[in-house]
Amino acid sequence: MGMQQKKEKESFSYQFPDGDRRLAFSRQPSFLYPSPSPSPSPNPLMQRSHSFTRSDSKDSTSILLMLAALRAVANGSRPIKRLALMISLNVAYSMIELLFGLFTGRVGLVSDAFHLTFGCGILTFSLFAMAMSRRKPDETYTYGYKRLEVLAAFTNALFLLFLSFSLAVEALHAFMQDESEHKHYLIVSAVTNLLVNLLGVWFFRSYARVNIVYWKPEDMNYHSVCLHVLADSIRSAGLILASWFLTLGVENAEVLCLGIVSVAVFMLVLPLFKATGSILLQISPSNIHPSAFNKCSRQIAALEEVLEVSQARFWELVPGYSVGSVSIKVKNGVNEDQILQHVNGLYNDLGIQDLTVQIDYM
Amino acid sequence: MERKNSPASASPSQVIEVNIDIDPDADPPTIPPITNPSPTGDSKACRGGTCDLSYTKDSHERFASMRKLIIAVVLCIIFMTVEVIGGIKANSLAILTDAAHLLSDVAAFMISLFSLWAAGWEATPRQSYGFFRIEILGALVSIQMIWLLAGILVYEAIVRLIHDNGEVKGFLMFAVSAFGLVVNIVMAVLLGHDHGHSHSHGHGHEHGHGHGHSHEHGHGHSHEHGHGHDHSDEHGHAHGHEHEHDHDHDANTMTTYFHHDHHHNKDVKEQLIKKEKKKSKRNVNVHSAYLHVLGDSIQSIGVMIGGAIIWYKPEWKIIDLICTLIFSVIVLFTTIKMLRNILEVLMESTPREIDATQLEKGLCTMDGVVAVHELHIWAITVGKVLLACHVTIAPDADADVILDQVIGYIKRDFNISHVTIQIERQ
Repeated sequence: MGMQQKKEKESFSYQFPDGDRRLAFSRQPSFLYPSPSPSPSPNPLMQRSHSFTRSDSKDSTSILLMLAALRAVANGSRPIKRLALMISLNVAYSMIELLFGLFTGRVGLVSDAFHLTFGCGILTFSLFAMAMSRRKPDETYTYGYKRLEVLAAFTNALFLLFLSFSLAVEALHAFMQDESEHKHYLIVSAVTNLLVNLLGVWFFRSYARVNIVYWKPEDMNYHSVCLHVLADSIRSAGLILASWFLTLGVENAEVLCLGIVSVAVFMLVLPLFKATGSILLQISPSNIHPSAFNKCSRQIAALEEVLEVSQARFWELVPGYSVGSVSIKVKNGVNEDQILQHVNGLYNDLGIQDLTVQIDYM
Repeated sequence: MERKNSPASASPSQVIEVNIDIDPDADPPTIPPITNPSPTGDSKACRGGTCDLSYTKDSHERFASMRKLIIAVVLCIIFMTVEVIGGIKANSLAILTDAAHLLSDVAAFMISLFSLWAAGWEATPRQSYGFFRIEILGALVSIQMIWLLAGILVYEAIVRLIHDNGEVKGFLMFAVSAFGLVVNIVMAVLLGHDHGHSHSHGHGHEHGHGHGHSHEHGHGHSHEHGHGHDHSDEHGHAHGHEHEHDHDHDANTMTTYFHHDHHHNKDVKEQLIKKEKKKSKRNVNVHSAYLHVLGDSIQSIGVMIGGAIIWYKPEWKIIDLICTLIFSVIVLFTTIKMLRNILEVLMESTPREIDATQLEKGLCTMDGVVAVHELHIWAITVGKVLLACHVTIAPDADADVILDQVIGYIKRDFNISHVTIQIERQ
């Protein structure tokens, strides 16, 4: 797994301001402190340092948190800045649309503005997750803040699922009601929406695929943002297409277009939803086949000192970092150092970075 | 876990009454349990593959919650059909909109029901911790739906404001939202009522409280004083001693100590029968459905007030929007606490009820233990906590004994049942 992580991905020119973070999850003695503290024994297990310091700055108030997030955005990597730009564009646009709709009394504009605002809220959460994910683990969040990115990706995927359902409901509504003229004055707003979203797709263009293998947690977040703007642009394109078909005189154009868009968004978002959901549900790491785990347990049980291997449980914290625990029964009087090293080595080769081994003596 | 028999439970007709007045502000007395150091080491390891992560012991609570939700769903569907028929007959959009709100309630209940049911699935090798996380994800989806609905309601209020040409009938708004409010209150009572009448063993009260979060794990459950006991279902322990109460329901009274505040007094004499333990913590899915219904009733109140004002003075239409905004914000505030809990579980953070510093200090003060590092405490779902850490011991210490001590300490004082300790020698 360590070798695979160093494999080059598709060529995107993102800069990593603080070193190549793709190596951040490769084999390290400690998740908390990347540089091992000096210790007399050369045993890699013993290089794990003491428990987390309590002197970490804990910004408990939300204002300080916001300021910290803003600071992180300003100094952040390029994707963060681009996302911030996109969000501010969207917010400005939706504000204008809302005010315009209120003053001229057009309901369609107001509903579009609301929908855009919801989307912006979700994107802001993604941004917040990106900014927060670099904080060091502290006392309450012993595994760090990387999970937040997976959560943000899940929220995005959920929002997109809701979007596809609501588009399907709208299509049904249009089918039953047969009023097909109210989309005409939304053309301008749809075109602007489409342009803004296409800009977003261009920013995240390397993630514009449906099935992606996730190497880092940021991958999931970026992928979800890209899918979000992609789905929005598909929706705007669908609306424009529907009005054009209506002017051409095609019957039920709206129903068709909305239906197609709804199905497309659903298919687009389903793999991401499944992947993020399976991480949040503590499913076994998806990049490791279950038979590999079985093979490892058998290898451990084949050692002559080992009586039984039980309760081998593994889960994925973020894509690229897996945690596990296993319980081993050994005969009395055996040197546990050797066994620990052996077991750790076995599972490290699979890709489990953080393993806790409990040795029970019989 | 296994039952430890002691001579005190030999005679079933013994009546033992233990009354202790506990000062609510002091720490509860820690009484060392009567453990049976077994040479086979099965006090440390769990038997079987999935141990107590397979939820069979909590099935009573689960079935009770499911029953409540099913009743709520059926009620909802009945009310919804009534409203739909009435709305079509009266040809009013407002009633149909309210029926759509009830439909969203049904959807939320379905999600909660599914989460409850799915949480009972047996653990598989791919899903080695069981399916408990589905509860949390289901609750997250429910809460997102609440937010979505609040947004939709605000949008509708704005639409009503724009189409201000007499289409707003204050009286109709008032009547429809009043009906919706009654329905929601009935369901809130049904879902929020946590007293133990629904348990099949018919034991005494269990007191639900208004938050989906309990401080119970550290200190608050009943202590075993030698004879009187309780059988703590939620973490799969079988502490102790059990009396057979076939004939006499009042055989065993005990004064227990509640951590959370409550309209009863602090020292409450409980009647324990057989194996039931009071659960003062509501299931997270039932709680999220309850929040959904509560949010709906708050919004119905808001719409009612707006409708009454418009009915009284039809020119103050903007009151409707203001009311809706205020009440939507109130609804969002009720969900924040639960959302924070959910987020904490999903982020694998240390649960609030466990004091990690104290645990670490306690571990370090044990003899033989040099240091503790890589301490991770996280929760699968709101009730189930797991711990993993590395303990460095002195080179000459006995690893087995220290392992026993450490695990016993953690299980006793912090009630964490799933513990994995890696012992390293210095």
